[in-house]
Amino acid sequence: MHDAAGPLLSAVDIHKTYRRDAVNVPVLRGVNLEVYEGEFLCVLGASGSGKSTMLHLLGTIDQPDKGIITLSGERIDNLPTKRCDKLRNETFGFVFQFYHLLPELNTLENVLVPLMIANGIFGWLGQRDTLRRRAEEALDRVGLSHRLKHKPRELSGGEMQRAAIARALINKPRILLADEPTGNLDVETGKDIMRILRGLNDSENLTIIMVTHNLDLVADTDRVVRLVAGQVEGSIPAPAYGY
Amino acid sequence: MYKFLLCWRYLLTRYLALACIISVMLGVATLIVVNSVMAGFSTKLKNRLHGLLSDVIVESFMHDGFSDPQEKIDRIRKSRIGKDIQAMTPVIEILGLVQIAYRGEWMQPRPVRLIGVDPIERAKLGGFAEYLTDPQNRANPDFRPNVEAKSRHDLVYPEIRLPSTLLLPGIGEKEPPVFPGDEKEKPRELAGAFVGYAIGNMRSRTATAETKNKDIAILQRGDEVILSTVSGGGQRLVPVYSNIIVSDFFRSEMSEYDANYIFVPFDWLQKLRTMDNRATAVQIRLKDFNRAPEVVAELRKLFPAEAGYQVETWEDKQGALLSAIAIEKGILNVLLFLIVGVAGFGILSIFAMIVVEKTRDIGVLKALGASKMGVMNIFLGYGLLLGLVGAGLGTALGLTLTSYINEIEHVLGRLTGHELFDRSVYYFDSIPTDVQAWTVILVNVGAVLIAVVFSVLPALRAASLHPVRALRYE
Repeated sequence: MHDAAGPLLSAVDIHKTYRRDAVNVPVLRGVNLEVYEGEFLCVLGASGSGKSTMLHLLGTIDQPDKGIITLSGERIDNLPTKRCDKLRNETFGFVFQFYHLLPELNTLENVLVPLMIANGIFGWLGQRDTLRRRAEEALDRVGLSHRLKHKPRELSGGEMQRAAIARALINKPRILLADEPTGNLDVETGKDIMRILRGLNDSENLTIIMVTHNLDLVADTDRVVRLVAGQVEGSIPAPAYGY
Repeated sequence: MYKFLLCWRYLLTRYLALACIISVMLGVATLIVVNSVMAGFSTKLKNRLHGLLSDVIVESFMHDGFSDPQEKIDRIRKSRIGKDIQAMTPVIEILGLVQIAYRGEWMQPRPVRLIGVDPIERAKLGGFAEYLTDPQNRANPDFRPNVEAKSRHDLVYPEIRLPSTLLLPGIGEKEPPVFPGDEKEKPRELAGAFVGYAIGNMRSRTATAETKNKDIAILQRGDEVILSTVSGGGQRLVPVYSNIIVSDFFRSEMSEYDANYIFVPFDWLQKLRTMDNRATAVQIRLKDFNRAPEVVAELRKLFPAEAGYQVETWEDKQGALLSAIAIEKGILNVLLFLIVGVAGFGILSIFAMIVVEKTRDIGVLKALGASKMGVMNIFLGYGLLLGLVGAGLGTALGLTLTSYINEIEHVLGRLTGHELFDRSVYYFDSIPTDVQAWTVILVNVGAVLIAVVFSVLPALRAASLHPVRALRYE
């Protein structure tokens, strides 16, 4: 499983402190993590353990106070804003607990947003039909081809999360970052989502980093690490986790 | 592309933004209506002034004018700028008094300007014949009273009629006054005059609703009036007077002229003022008024100020009035643009609220790779779109209001019981309007610019939101 060439994504001695009401709250206190290409990594942690913070740092949504993050050996924690924007658009895909679909756009348009960001106005106008077809295919893969024109408020929780997954994958990212993807869903719907993520990892060798507090999700992943007191503890293959 | 899509969707879904659109719309509509009405008044005024005063005037400021007007005209024709001249005519212009008898009683004498012209030649300059109330005179101006006026005159005034002895000026009078019954003079062939409409007609502002704004005729065609002025011959100014028949009225709808001008035959006024072969001015019409500066420069060389001449365009003569209109329009536009500025502050506050409302969506967009500039452009684009829609609707509303301004004025007048456009003050029967394309364009550009400028701060705020804080915003 692990690439002999080294990890795809690596975090070394990551520190992050947030300031709340004039009080400094250290969230990450020296996180070390390696993620290998094609693996489905689960980061377990209690609420407030810094799981989402770590995901944001890995995905360049935020920058660490200290430490180094590399992607394929290239440092990404101190890139200029423009490079970060491009990375988030093309290399990383994000799935959030609360879906975060744009309410004014329908399902198809939500999935098209990363493509529109990537292509600019003239690129979009030149490839409009091709890009639309890609979005429709992505939605078809997650079982939403009958919901293309629906607004988010007209979708169920599971449908919204599937649309969010299609959006995250539309630019063919190398890494999918999922922050509690089933946190707002019932058990059955949550299993559907996990089935989709597992399927993506198996069929396309998509590297997935999922943060969660839900032990029930571990079985569908390849490896588990725990985030405790702002540090990563241990690294156990999921089957060995007791599930 | 996502920016345009989001701008458009925000426009369709954010009802609060409707307030911004309405305020821009009202500001633009107001500016268009006010500018169109002011331009209408101004255009009407300028057209009238331009026509009445002709393009260029060469005048003498000596009381007896200059000699041999035909020679002056020939000199101008043969000069370097002769090819620019469309038409020319000599005139005599002098202050005078008019005395009118109304219902058998003599009214107070009234100061007027007597303008001696050849009617056919003056008509070629424009701004003359078209204002005469007799259609025949409009086509072919003639000072001689028409048949109807002559019949009325012969009926009302006996064969021989002399002014009341009480009105004889006395100064320089060589012959003893003639009392009624002692008349020995032969019947005189009186000349005709075109009298300013407001001299011969009155409007009562205090009359009843039926008679308000209706003209009360003091003079009719065929009536006689007495014109008094000073002679132009020699060094000593001597009062002179004569009766004259009102053959027509001159109605330019400009009170300055309608209330003061009386046009009389050129040779008649020459004779009255002992100004044989003399005139006080030459009025000139140019083929192209844009050539006026060159023409005036050349005429000032031909007729220098040292020799007692003055050469001016119509704009020079009415410079103060035109400047006053321009200043008034400028100030009014500044004040009205402040209204649109107030709309801009509305946009600022509403956009600030929308940015707060959209904080999480901004975080999502940044997580998907949207740049700061991209997020900023969403809100700038939104401001632009609001401005465009508001300005577009405002233009449609403004143009509609301008087209139906008189009907609206009537309705509002009936509703409020107060006349908004007092026709006894203005001689126009309707509110004049002139929609100028450049004004409409500038108003629209200004309004859209204000909308965009006031969306900059909220847009900057949106762009500077930290993605993590934005995503976590509740």
